[in-house]
Amino acid sequence: MPQASGVVSHVVTFGRVLRQAGLEVGPNRIADGLSGLDQVDLTRQDDVYWTLRANFVTRREELEIFDRAFQAWFLRAPVSPLGLSPPTPRGAVLRRAHAGGRPDDAAGDDESPKARGWSYEEILRTKDFGAMTSDEFDRARALIADIAAERPRRRSRRLRRHHRGRELDLRRTIRESLGAGGDPVHRQYRLRARVPRKLVVLCDVSGSMEAYVRPLLLFVHAVRGSGKGVEAFAFGTRLTRLTRALETSDTDRALQDAARSVADWCGGTRIGASLKTYNDDWGRRALTRGAVVVIASDGWEREESGAGLLEEQMARLSRQAYTVVWVNPLKGHPGYEPLAAGMRAALPHVDRFLPGHNLASLERLGEVLMGIERRHAA
Amino acid sequence: MTARTFATIDDLQAGLLDASYLADRGLASVLFLALKLEKPLLLEGEAGVGKTEAAKAMARVLPARLIRLQCYEGLDVAHAVYEWNYSRQLLHIRAAQEGTVSEAELFGPEFLIRRPLLEAIESDEPVVLLIDEIDRADDEFEAFLLEVLSDFQITVPEIGTIQAVRRPVVILTSNRTRELHDALKRRALFHWIDHPSLEREVEIVRLRVPGVPERLALQAAAFVQGLRRLDLEKPPGVAETIDWAQALAALGSHELDPDLVESTLGSVLKHHEDLQAVRDAALADLLEEARVAAG
Repeated sequence: MPQASGVVSHVVTFGRVLRQAGLEVGPNRIADGLSGLDQVDLTRQDDVYWTLRANFVTRREELEIFDRAFQAWFLRAPVSPLGLSPPTPRGAVLRRAHAGGRPDDAAGDDESPKARGWSYEEILRTKDFGAMTSDEFDRARALIADIAAERPRRRSRRLRRHHRGRELDLRRTIRESLGAGGDPVHRQYRLRARVPRKLVVLCDVSGSMEAYVRPLLLFVHAVRGSGKGVEAFAFGTRLTRLTRALETSDTDRALQDAARSVADWCGGTRIGASLKTYNDDWGRRALTRGAVVVIASDGWEREESGAGLLEEQMARLSRQAYTVVWVNPLKGHPGYEPLAAGMRAALPHVDRFLPGHNLASLERLGEVLMGIERRHAA
Repeated sequence: MTARTFATIDDLQAGLLDASYLADRGLASVLFLALKLEKPLLLEGEAGVGKTEAAKAMARVLPARLIRLQCYEGLDVAHAVYEWNYSRQLLHIRAAQEGTVSEAELFGPEFLIRRPLLEAIESDEPVVLLIDEIDRADDEFEAFLLEVLSDFQITVPEIGTIQAVRRPVVILTSNRTRELHDALKRRALFHWIDHPSLEREVEIVRLRVPGVPERLALQAAAFVQGLRRLDLEKPPGVAETIDWAQALAALGSHELDPDLVESTLGSVLKHHEDLQAVRDAALADLLEEARVAAG
């Protein structure tokens, strides 16, 4: 490489800074960036900027991080720390289950839920997540993963070989008939394959949902394990896409990454405005079309005039979605009535209204998702 | 035919301008890199910011043949790469009658229907290969495309492997209806095109609509910029501004007025709801703003 080694080490270090900020800048990218720099005028700052940007950034969301890193590294400008937001308090919420829970546990903690017997598990199933000790929650986690292994399916346009299929598989039939002197003795059929339906989960992470966010995100993370086509978003006062954060198979890391990427964890709620952002940015790009959309929220719209906007956005969502499911942890409490203005405004556009406050209700959610066969099936 | 070479980004930017495409420094830089590094370029941005137009302009400036592959759900190899011409093959067998037809003869190049990817690989003249709206194709096709774009070769089982004589300039566009594979992104340069600033948009309009009165160009661009700040189903792109300015110029207008806007707004806003919303509420304000901007 013809460049001075100074440039090389500069770019390598810059790559490391970007990696820490969450961009995937591997050695190949670095090499590409350097060969790009060979072609341009190194004394021109904008040439260097565009060359590195084209090589190191792969999606729009990363542009802001890149710009800040570039300013900090090449221009030595004072900027706020890299990464999306300070992780400390929110990470702590997630770690509580491990760190805080252990000491007050008595000896014999290694006992498995099974050893403690069916009744223990049964009590756990119906206990409100908000009332669980951190130890109980740890046990609940394992069960959540089991619940969420399946997803609603749709018929694909692709055909697969199937003995009870409807369409004649001519190619296969003819090939098999060769052995019978050209007589199609054994007819072969094809059937439309069933593939997982798109699933979009929008999870309210405002303060009032605090106890339920973790189990719900665990549920979403487990559902993600079932294959492609699951999109997850968090909202409080604004919308954050969690899909990428939940990509790792390590549950703890996924939750921590998710918490870190959300700037308004445990803050207020603007459901209508958040849904609008979703509809504008993602729904417009056809993410909603044909999808089962699950909204997990207690329906407390903090914005004063919010109910009108929420109703309007729910109508928009419902027009595009295959089915809209609303999960409200408050619904699990005896005597609950949807009195919150936001909840009332949303309900006419909701196909299934479910609680989500304990394991049993998540199980129910899993069953409902599995059983969705018709559009807007109530 | 050989393609022009460009020594610097400035050269390319000037060349694009001659080809009636106003590229800002950022876009000119990545196009320059795509040429020099022979890497595919992935362009993303809102609809109507000129992603497809950039590829067409590149083809004009090089000059090179533009080969376009429009992606859609269900796009397969038979429509993107090649297909055998079965009816011609059958006719050929018929025509041979008593004579024998060898398999090699039947599956020779003359019975091959070349689709855009194969055409781009086989071409011995310079080619700009535009793979439009890649996000609309299926995952499986994207994986296949990745293979083609890494080796620039295509294998037809009956004929063999066809290697590109010269690497085409590859420009992919995406509207981000879904996330593309990381592997594909790794292979390509990435560039996000934003809506242009007011000054740029005026420049673009004047470049693309020769003879448009300056004041009209400025007002139309300012009006469209105002529309983009509204909350519309489909905010208008640069293409819409150009269409509109063309319509306005054709009507012989020199300045926007309420009636003129009212009667021509359909060339800017394509959704009924958007038209309704702007007519009901924002039209007068936007017009006022546009007039102020035009001084």
